[in-house]
Amino acid sequence: MKKRHEFKLLSKTTFIYLIFTLVAFLGSGLFLTHEANEFINWELEHKYRRIEYKTRSVIDREGRRTADLEKLPRNIQIMPISQAPPEDAYPTYSDTTIYISRLEETWRARNKTVAIEAGGQFYRLTMTELVEDYLSLRDDIFRTMLPAFILLVVGIVAFNFLMSGYFFRPFNKILDIMRSYKVGQRTNLEKVKTNTLEFNKMQDLFHSMINRIEQDYRHLREYTENMAHEMQTPLAVIRNKTDNLIADESMMKEHGKTVKTIYEETNHLSRLGNTLNLITKIENGEFDNITQIETRPIIEQHVDAIRELAGLKSLTIDTDLTEEHRLEIDPYLLDIVLKNLLRNSVMYGTDNGPIRVTTSEKTLEVSNYGPPMEDRPDKLFQRFYRNNNHQGSLGLGLSLVKKICEVSKLQITYQYEEGQHIFRILRNGEMPA
Amino acid sequence: METPLLLQAPGIYKRSYNHRGTIIMKLLIVEDNEQLVEDMERFLEESGYVVECAINYEDASEKLWLYSYDLVIVDLGLPDGNGLELIREMKNNEVAAGIMILTARDAVEDKVKGLDLGADDYMTKPFHKEELNARIRSILRRHKFDRSNTLEVEELKVDLLSSQVYVNEIQLDLTRKEYDLILYFMHNPDRVLTKESIAEHLWGDHIDQADNFDFLYNHIKNLRKKITDAGGTNHIQAKYGMGYKFSTQNSR
Repeated sequence: MKKRHEFKLLSKTTFIYLIFTLVAFLGSGLFLTHEANEFINWELEHKYRRIEYKTRSVIDREGRRTADLEKLPRNIQIMPISQAPPEDAYPTYSDTTIYISRLEETWRARNKTVAIEAGGQFYRLTMTELVEDYLSLRDDIFRTMLPAFILLVVGIVAFNFLMSGYFFRPFNKILDIMRSYKVGQRTNLEKVKTNTLEFNKMQDLFHSMINRIEQDYRHLREYTENMAHEMQTPLAVIRNKTDNLIADESMMKEHGKTVKTIYEETNHLSRLGNTLNLITKIENGEFDNITQIETRPIIEQHVDAIRELAGLKSLTIDTDLTEEHRLEIDPYLLDIVLKNLLRNSVMYGTDNGPIRVTTSEKTLEVSNYGPPMEDRPDKLFQRFYRNNNHQGSLGLGLSLVKKICEVSKLQITYQYEEGQHIFRILRNGEMPA
Repeated sequence: METPLLLQAPGIYKRSYNHRGTIIMKLLIVEDNEQLVEDMERFLEESGYVVECAINYEDASEKLWLYSYDLVIVDLGLPDGNGLELIREMKNNEVAAGIMILTARDAVEDKVKGLDLGADDYMTKPFHKEELNARIRSILRRHKFDRSNTLEVEELKVDLLSSQVYVNEIQLDLTRKEYDLILYFMHNPDRVLTKESIAEHLWGDHIDQADNFDFLYNHIKNLRKKITDAGGTNHIQAKYGMGYKFSTQNSR
C-alpha cells in the first residue's frame, strides 16, 4: 500500500486558511483594480470632454487660422477632414508612450481620437493624456498585496510553529499517558487539565474506555485465578482417589494403565494450574518486593541443590561466579528464574561438556551442551513450546523466566554457539561486556 | 464431689497407647472438602494416628477448646473464616499442637504469614499423602511428642538423631538422598509410592516431572543393593511402572 502523506492538523487548517486568504486577496485586488480602471476611464473621459469642448469653441470662435492654434489645448493633433465620418468610426482609443526628457522616463499615455465639427468644418481630433500616475497607482494595488500576503504567510506559519507546542501540550501529554498505559496497572490515570473542548472529549473517552478495559481485564483475571485456585481441591480429591486405586492390587492388575494415565494427567493439570496462576500473578505485578540481591550465594545454593540431579545424568556443573553481580529483583522471582534455567539445562544438557553458570559484573549466563534446536530460537520462550522429546513437560518454564525478566526490567537472550545453548540475563539497555 | 468432666476437659490430655505400647498421636484435620477429609482421615488412620475432623472454623475452634491434639492440619480457605485466624487463635490460647498448613493457595505471602504465626510447615494442594505423612512425622518429632528416636521396620532400624540406618545392627553407608528415600519408604510402609511423590519428596520442584525417572531408578537400585549387601531383604518393589512399594511381612 502506498503510504499516504500525513500532515499536522494545524498545518492543514493553516494551509486551507492561507488558500482562502489568497483567494480573498486576489478577489479584492481584482475588484480594486476594476474600480480603479473605471475611475481612470471616467476621469480621462472627463478630461477629454473638456479638451474637445475647448478645441471646438476655439475653432468656432477663431476660425481656421493657424496662428490661433496656439490657443488650442496642448497635446492634441487636429486634422481637417473633408466630410463627415461614418457614425461608428469614432471615437477610437489607443495606448502609447511618451518620453519625457526632463525626467528621462517613458510614461504611459492614452489617445482618444474623435471627429468634431467646428466652424462648419469636420476635424479629426486626437487627444493625448498621460496616465502613468493613474496606472502606477492602480498597479500598486497588486504590488503591495503580494508582499502583504507573503508577510501574512510567514507570520502565520511562524506563529503556528511557535504556538502549536503550547496549544498541543495537553494533547501530547494525554498521548503520553495513553502510550504508557498498561492493562492491569492499578494506579489511577493522571487527568490532564485543559480547556480545549476536543482534548477533553478525547480524554474523557479514553478514560471511560480504560475503565471498561480494566473492568473486563479484572473479570478475566479473577476468572483465571479462581479457575487455577479452585481446581486444585478437586484435583487433590482426584489424586487421592487415584492413590486409593493404586493401593488396590487387584484393581491395578486390571486397570493399571488407565489409573496411571489418570494419575499423570491429574498431576499435569495441577502443575499447569499452579504455573499459570503464577504467571498471572507475575503479570499482575504481585511480586514487588524488589531488592538488590547479590546473586552469588543464591546461585550457589541452587547449583548445589541440582548438582546431584545433574550427576545422575552424568552432567557436571561448572560455576564461575563473581561477587560483583547484582540484580534488582524480587527474591522469590529470582529463585524461579534460577530454578527454571538450571532445570532446563539439566533436562536438555548432554555430556559433551559441563553445564556452565557464569556471572560477570553485568551478566548472568547459563549454558549447556546439546544438539541445536530444530525450531526457530524465538519459539523457545513461547508458552507451551517444548521439545518433542519432552511431552510430559509443561512447556512453561522458559516463558515464565521471560515473563519475570520483563517485569523485572531485565532482558534475556538465547544463543547457540559452538554446540552450546546459552541463556544470558542482562539489565535492560546494557550490552554484554 | 467429682468435678464435671467438661470443666476438666480443656488442656487435659490423656496419652493413649496402642497395643505395641507406643504413643498414639492425635490429629485434627480442619478442611471443608468432605472428599478430601474422608481420604485424609482414612489414610492417616491407616498410618496409625487417631484422627478427628472439623469441616469449618467454628467446629475447629470448638474442638480445639475442648480437646487436645498433637497436630492440627489447617486449610486456609474455610467457608466461615480464614485458617490463618484459627492459627492465631491457637497461638493466643497457647495450644501446644504442631500446625501444618494445607491450602490451595500457592501464595508466598500466605506461606510467610502462616509460618510467622507459628505454623510448622506448609503444603500446597494437591499434595501427596505420603509426603503429608512424612512431614507430620517430622513435625511431631520436632515437638518431641514422638519420644522415640528410632524407627524400626523388621531388620531395618533408623536412628533419627544421627541419621543412620542399620540392617541387623550393621550400619549402612547411605548418601543424603538415599537416607531421605529409605526414611520416606519406612514412614509409609506397604503403600505404593508413586514416582512423582518420591521425586517431589527428594528434589522438590528442582526436578521436572517430564524427565523420565531414571534418576529415581538409580537411587532405588543403589539403595536396594546396599540393603541386600548388608544381609537385608529386598523390601522395595516396583509397582505397575507407577512407583515403588516398601513391603513388610504384612503384605508379603
